[in-house]
Amino acid sequence: MSPRLNLFRASRSLAIRSKSSVSPYQPRIFQTTARRGFADEKATGPNQDVLGHVSEEAADMGDITGETKPDLGQGTPVQEILERDEKGKENAPEVIKKEIQESTEAQALSTEAHALSIEHLVALRQMENIAAGKQASHEVTHGHKFGVPDLPIPSMSNLHYRYDTVVDQVTNLIMEHGKLSKAQRDMSFILNHLRTAPPPQVNPARPLLPGTPPPSHLPLNPVLYLTAAIDSVAPLLRIRSMKGAAGGGTALQLPAPLGLRQRRRTAIKWILDSASKKRSRGSGRGQFAQRVAEEIVSVVEGRSAVWDRRQLIHKTGTSARANLNVMAAKMRRR
Amino acid sequence: MASSGCWKCLLRPSVPVSRPIIANASASFSTTTTLNANPPKKKTGAVKIVKPHQRAGSSLKIKKKAFVKPAGRPPMPGERKALRKRIVLSNTNALEVPMTDLSKDNLLDETLVGKVAGLPDVVVDQLRAVEAFKITQGWGLFRRPAILVREDSVKLARMLEAATEKKEACRVLLDGQRGAGKSMLAVHAMASAFLKGWVVINIPEAQELTTATTDYSPVPNTTPQLYSQDTYVANLLSQIGKANNAVLSTLTLSMEHKDAPIPLQSNISLARLVELGARDPDIAWPLFNIFWREITAAGRPPVMMAMDGLSYFMQYSEYRNPDFDLIHAHDLALVKHLMDHLSGSTKLPNGGAILGVMSRSHAPKSLAADLAITQTEERQLGRPRTKADPFTKYDERSLKVLGNVPVLRLQGLSRAEARGLMEYWASSGVMRTVVDEKTVAEKWTLAGNGIVGEIERGALKMRI
Repeated sequence: MSPRLNLFRASRSLAIRSKSSVSPYQPRIFQTTARRGFADEKATGPNQDVLGHVSEEAADMGDITGETKPDLGQGTPVQEILERDEKGKENAPEVIKKEIQESTEAQALSTEAHALSIEHLVALRQMENIAAGKQASHEVTHGHKFGVPDLPIPSMSNLHYRYDTVVDQVTNLIMEHGKLSKAQRDMSFILNHLRTAPPPQVNPARPLLPGTPPPSHLPLNPVLYLTAAIDSVAPLLRIRSMKGAAGGGTALQLPAPLGLRQRRRTAIKWILDSASKKRSRGSGRGQFAQRVAEEIVSVVEGRSAVWDRRQLIHKTGTSARANLNVMAAKMRRR
Repeated sequence: MASSGCWKCLLRPSVPVSRPIIANASASFSTTTTLNANPPKKKTGAVKIVKPHQRAGSSLKIKKKAFVKPAGRPPMPGERKALRKRIVLSNTNALEVPMTDLSKDNLLDETLVGKVAGLPDVVVDQLRAVEAFKITQGWGLFRRPAILVREDSVKLARMLEAATEKKEACRVLLDGQRGAGKSMLAVHAMASAFLKGWVVINIPEAQELTTATTDYSPVPNTTPQLYSQDTYVANLLSQIGKANNAVLSTLTLSMEHKDAPIPLQSNISLARLVELGARDPDIAWPLFNIFWREITAAGRPPVMMAMDGLSYFMQYSEYRNPDFDLIHAHDLALVKHLMDHLSGSTKLPNGGAILGVMSRSHAPKSLAADLAITQTEERQLGRPRTKADPFTKYDERSLKVLGNVPVLRLQGLSRAEARGLMEYWASSGVMRTVVDEKTVAEKWTLAGNGIVGEIERGALKMRI
C-alpha cells in the first residue's frame, strides 16, 4: 500500500532559521550558488535592487536614453547635504540630528554584519592564499580548529600509526599465537640491545644500503639501525616457479619483482629464521629477542648467512631472467 | 562344588570320577635335544606385503620432525644464570651529561630537586656490593649511574638527618604504586648513608629468605624456636664487609665475647670479624650477633638496614619445623632481628635507619601489611581510622610489627621533576624527541600522572 500524500509534511523542511553571528564551521570548498539563505538575511538578488528616489531614477533613465537628465542638485534632500557639510550638521534641527545619528549607527551595524558574513571571510582567506603564492581555489586552511592532518600520518599523531613502519612490521612477524604484547616487549628488548651494543664494524665487501649514516651513528638511533640492516639484506626479487612450463615436467623459474614491504618481509623472515636456529647463551624470557638482536648486528657487520641467501636469490634471478622471454614468446604464440 | 555322589550317606559315587589329566606326559628328564620348528622369518623392509583388504597408496603418514641440535658450544654451568643476573651500569654509546654528583653536602639541597645527580664511583661500587641495583632498572642505558632527586628524596634525607641528630632510628615504610620509584628511593637513601659514612646492610630481596631456597637450622636455646639461615648470613656478612670496608677497617673490637664460637683476638678490626663470619657458614650467625653487639656499642657510626619486598616477611615462610608445620617468617632469626628494629622494640643507640620497601609488582598480598599501612596513613593525616574486617584473618604478628611504622607514600613525579628526568634522557641521546611542554605533559599524563616507571616505559622502553 502506497503511503498517503501528506501536504503538511512538505512544509517541515522549510525551517525558519535565524542567522548565527559567527559561522560554526568553515566549509572547505565554498559554493555560493548552492547556499541557502537565512530567513532574516538582507538578500541583494538581481530583482531586489532598491531604486533611488525619483530624480535619481530619471537621471539613470537619461543616461540610458541619452536625453537631458534632471539636475540632481535641485531635488536633493537636506540630509544628503548635511552629510557633506560638517558645520551645517551642528546647526541642524534636533530632529534631523537624531535621524542622522540613527542612520550612522545602523550603517555601522550593517558593515559589521557584512564583515562577519561567510562570503566575506572566504574571500579574505582566498586573498591570503593568493598572497601566500597559492591559487585562490586552493583549500582554505583557516577555520579548522585543529588544522588539517598531515599525510601520511606521522608516528606520534594517531593511535593506529604509533610505531615506525619497520618496527611495526618486525613486531608483527615476531608475534606468535596472537600475543602482540609479548612481541612488543621482545621488540623493545631488540632495540635496547642495539642501543647498548658497541658500534658495528661494517664489512666493506658487504656494504650497507647507500645513504646509511656512518656506523658510529647507528646505536643511538636503533630504529634506523634496524631499518638499515633489514633494507640492506632485502632481496629485490623472488623466484616464481611455473609448474611444468620448462617441458618434461620441469618447473620454469621466473624472477618476479617485490614491493618494498614484501622485500622487507622476506629479509625479516630470514633474520628470524637464522635467529631461531641459534642456541641461546642465557636463560629467562628475553632469549629469542637477544638472538634476533645479535643476528641484526651480525647482518650489519656482514657476518650473517642471510647475505648468502640474498646473493643466491639474486644469482638465480639473473640466470632465470632469460625465461621471461620464453614465457613472453609462448604467450604471443597463443 | 556339589559332588556327584550323595554326601549324606557316604555312598560310593554312581558315576566314576574321571582320571586326573597328567599335565606333563613326557619324561621329566631327557638327554635328547628338542626338535622345534624354526621361528618365523622377520619381514624385511624392502618386501612390502599388501594384504587384500588394504589399499595401496594414499594413507596419512605424519612424519616426526627431526630434532635440530642447535649449533655452537652449550653454555657452561652457571653461565646462563650469570647472564640473567648481570647488572650493566654503563652504556658507552650514550652521551656524557654534565651534572653535579651527590655528595655529603648537597643531600638536603632543595635546588637539586627535579635534577639528575650522578652517583660517585666509590658509592657505585658500594651499592653494587650490597646488591642495591636491580636488573629491571634502566642503569644500562646511560653513560654512568645517576639518580633523579625528587621531593621525597629530600624529605627522606631530612628524616635521616634528624635521626642522626637525635641518635635514634629513622623507621620508614616506603609504599606506592608499581613503578612509583620505591626501590630507587631506597638506592638514594643507601647512597646518602654511604656518603655520610654509615654502615649499610641491605636485603635486596626478602623472598630469598622466606621461599625456602636457602638452608636453615634451629638456633639452640631459643624459645620460641628460632631458625638461622647460615649460608645466607655468611653471604650477607661478606657483602657488609665489602661495602663498608672503609668504615669497618677503622673500628676494632671493643668488648670481650665469651660466647664466640671461635677464639677471637682482642684487637682485630670489625672488617676482619665480618670476614671470619663470611668464611664459615657454621659460625656466621653467632658472629653476626657479635658484629651487631660491636656496631651498636657506644661511639660507633649509625647503621642503615634496608629490605625490599617486605610483604614476604609478613606471612608464613615456606620452611617447615620438625612437626612439619610452616614456620612464620618472624621465627627466622635474621628476619626477627630486622623486624625487632623495624617495629622499634629494639633501639639503635647510635642512630640510623630501617627502611622497609614494599613491592607492588612481584609480591604476595599481605592483608595485615595493607591494613597497617592504611591505618598508619590515616593517623598521619588525622583521618578516622579504618577498622579491621572482623571476618578477615589478619596475620597478627605482622600487624603488631607494622602497627606504628611511619609510612612514606610515593606518588607520581611532579611535572618539573618529569621534565628534568626527560631532559637528562634527551641529553644522553637515549630519548630522541624534543623535550617541550607538550611532550612532558603527554608522557606525564599517559603515565598515570607521573608514575616514573610508566614514564620510562613510554619514553625509553616500549617506544623509541
